[in-house]
Amino acid sequence: MENFSINDIFATKGIEYLVIIAFLAILIPFWVVLNKQVKITKQIQNALGILTANILRIPQGLFYSKNHTWIHLEKSGVANLGLDDLLQHLTGEVKFSNLINPGEIINKGDLLAKIEHNSKLLKIFSPISGKILKTNSMLNESPEMLNEDPYGKGWIYKIKPSNWIAETNSCFFAEDATNWATKELEKVKDFLIMSMGKHSHEPSMLTLQDGGELRNNTLSELPNEVWQDFQKEFLNHT
Amino acid sequence: MNNNVNISDRGSKSLIRFVISELKPRGKIFTPFNIISGLIILLSLVILVIRFAKGLGSVADASQLHPWGLWISFNVITGVAFAGGAYVLTFMVYILNMKKYHSIVRMTVLWGFLAYSFYAGALILDLGRPWNIINPIIGNSFGLSSVLFLVAWHFILYIIAQFIEFSPAIAEWLEAKRLRKILVSLTIGTVIFGITLSVLHQSGLGALFMMAKAKIHPLWYSEFLPILFLISSIFAGLSIIIVVGSICQKVFKNQLKSDYGDSYKNIVFGFAKICAVAMFVYLFLRLLVLIHSQQWALINTHIGYWFLLEILGFVLVPFIFFIYGFKHRSMLLIHIASIMTIIGIILNRLNVSMIAYLWNDPLAHYPTWMEIVVSVSVILAQIWIFRWIIYRMPILRKSPDWVPEDEEK
Repeated sequence: MENFSINDIFATKGIEYLVIIAFLAILIPFWVVLNKQVKITKQIQNALGILTANILRIPQGLFYSKNHTWIHLEKSGVANLGLDDLLQHLTGEVKFSNLINPGEIINKGDLLAKIEHNSKLLKIFSPISGKILKTNSMLNESPEMLNEDPYGKGWIYKIKPSNWIAETNSCFFAEDATNWATKELEKVKDFLIMSMGKHSHEPSMLTLQDGGELRNNTLSELPNEVWQDFQKEFLNHT
Repeated sequence: MNNNVNISDRGSKSLIRFVISELKPRGKIFTPFNIISGLIILLSLVILVIRFAKGLGSVADASQLHPWGLWISFNVITGVAFAGGAYVLTFMVYILNMKKYHSIVRMTVLWGFLAYSFYAGALILDLGRPWNIINPIIGNSFGLSSVLFLVAWHFILYIIAQFIEFSPAIAEWLEAKRLRKILVSLTIGTVIFGITLSVLHQSGLGALFMMAKAKIHPLWYSEFLPILFLISSIFAGLSIIIVVGSICQKVFKNQLKSDYGDSYKNIVFGFAKICAVAMFVYLFLRLLVLIHSQQWALINTHIGYWFLLEILGFVLVPFIFFIYGFKHRSMLLIHIASIMTIIGIILNRLNVSMIAYLWNDPLAHYPTWMEIVVSVSVILAQIWIFRWIIYRMPILRKSPDWVPEDEEK
C-alpha cells in the first residue's frame, strides 16, 4: 500500500478536453469514410444505374427459360422456380402476387403470377408442368427479395415436375445461359427503341443506337403500352 | 429412427442408446491434428495427476508473491475476453434485430459457452484448495466484500444463461419437440440476462486488478481498467469469431447450409466494421487514460516500448487493417487484422495480469513448461468438444425439417 500516491486529477484536464474534442472531430470523417461506398467500376455502374451484361447474376447450375424464369431441380426431385436477374433489373421493385395455391396442378404455359408496378402488369407463365407444392409467402411481405436474392430467397414456387426432361430441353444452361442473357440484353435495347418509337416521342432512348447502355429499372418509368409489348416480346413464350 | 417422437415419447432406454451411439467418433481418427493434440492432452493429464497428488507448487511456478499463474492469466483472464463475441452477437441479433448475423449465432454462443466452461475449469486447477470454489455459491463463506464473489456469481449465472441460449440445438439433436418449444421461448429473456451479466463481469475482471494498484506497472494500471476491459472484449470476441468461423467454413464444408457461403462474407465485413469502430473508441480511451495518469515519462523506458508495441503494433495496426479490409472487401486483410487483434488482446491481458504485474520484482517470474502444456491442452480440449458438437447438432447446418421455418436460425 505504500506505493499509493495522490494524483492531481485536474492537472491534465485541459489536454483531456482537447483529446475529447479531437476524438469527436475525427469521429465524423472516420464515420463518413467507413460508410462510403468503394469506387470500383462495377459499383459505379451500379450507382449510375447502367445495366450491362457483366452485372447480371447468372448462376450456372440453373435452367433458364426463354420467358425469364429459372428452374432448379433439388436432390429431392422438387423444382424451385423464380424470376431471372435480367427481368428484375428491368422492372425494378415490383409488387408481386401468386395466382396458384399449393396442391394445384399446372401445365407448361399456364399463368403463374403477376408482377406489378404503378398498375402496369407483367404476367409470368410456367416453363414446366407439375404440381405446386409450396409458394413463397415471404414475397408478399417483402417483394424486394425478388431483386435482392432472385435465385435464393426470391424463389416463387416449389413444384413437383411431371415432365422435367422434355420440358427443360428448350431451356438454357451453364455458359449457354450467359450467352443467351447477353444477347437478350441487346434484344431488349432494340425492342425499347422500337417500342418507344411506336408509343412515345421521348428522344432520350435514341442514343442507344450509338452503343449506349441501358439504365437500371428502365421499364419502371415507361408507359403501360411498352409493358404490354414487352410482355408479348419476352414473356409469352416459354 | 422415427422422426416424430418427442422426448416424452422416446423411452429413456432408446434415448440412452441414441446418445451412446452418438458418442462414437466420426470421420478419420488419426489425422495430424488429432495425434498432436491427443498427445498434448495426454501429457497434460499426467501433469494434472501430479498437480493434484503433490500440490500446485510441484508443477507451477506459484508462490506467496505470485499466487496466480498462467492458467488464470491466460485461460481465465484472456479467454473470457475472447468469449465476449457471444454477448455482442446476441445483442446485435436479438435486441437490434440484425437478421443478417443470425446464421452464426449458434456457433458463437456454443464457442462462448465452451470457453466459459473450460476456463472456469482452468480456474479450479489453479486453486490451492479447489473444493472451496463452491463456497461463494453455497454460502459457506460468501466473501461478500470480494470482487471475486461477483466474478464467481457472474460466471456461474452466465454459463447457465449461455447453456439455455444454446439448448434448442440440443433439443433438435434429441428430437425433443416439446422441450425445444419451451427452450426457444426462454431465449430472449436469457439473452437480455446474459448481456447484462457479460457487461458486468467483463468489466468485473478489470475491477479485480484495481485492487493491485501497487503491483501493476503504472502504464497499465488505471482506475479505468473495467471500461477498457469491457470495450476490448467487443473486438476481441468478434475477432475470434471471424477466425473460428473461417476455420469452420473450411473444416465443416459439408455441414454448411447452401446459403451460408455468400452471407458469411457479409457477416465478416460487418464484424470488421464493428471492430474498427470499437478499436477507434478504445485507442482514444487508452490515450485519455495515459494522459490522465500523467505517466507519459515512462514511455521512454524498456517496458514503455513494450507498452507501445501493444498499443501501436497490435491495436492501431489491426485497426487500420480492419478499415482497409472492410473498404476494399479483402477477406485476407480482415483475417490478418483479426489474428493481430487476438495477439494484441493476449498481450494486453498478460501484461496486466503477469508481465507488467510485479514488474519491479527482482526475481523474474516465468510460467513452467508444464503450465504451458496444460494451458494449451485446455484450449485443445475445448476445440475437441466444439467439433464433436458441430458434427452432431444443427449448429452450422439446417435445423431438422420439423422446426418451423420462421424459427430456424
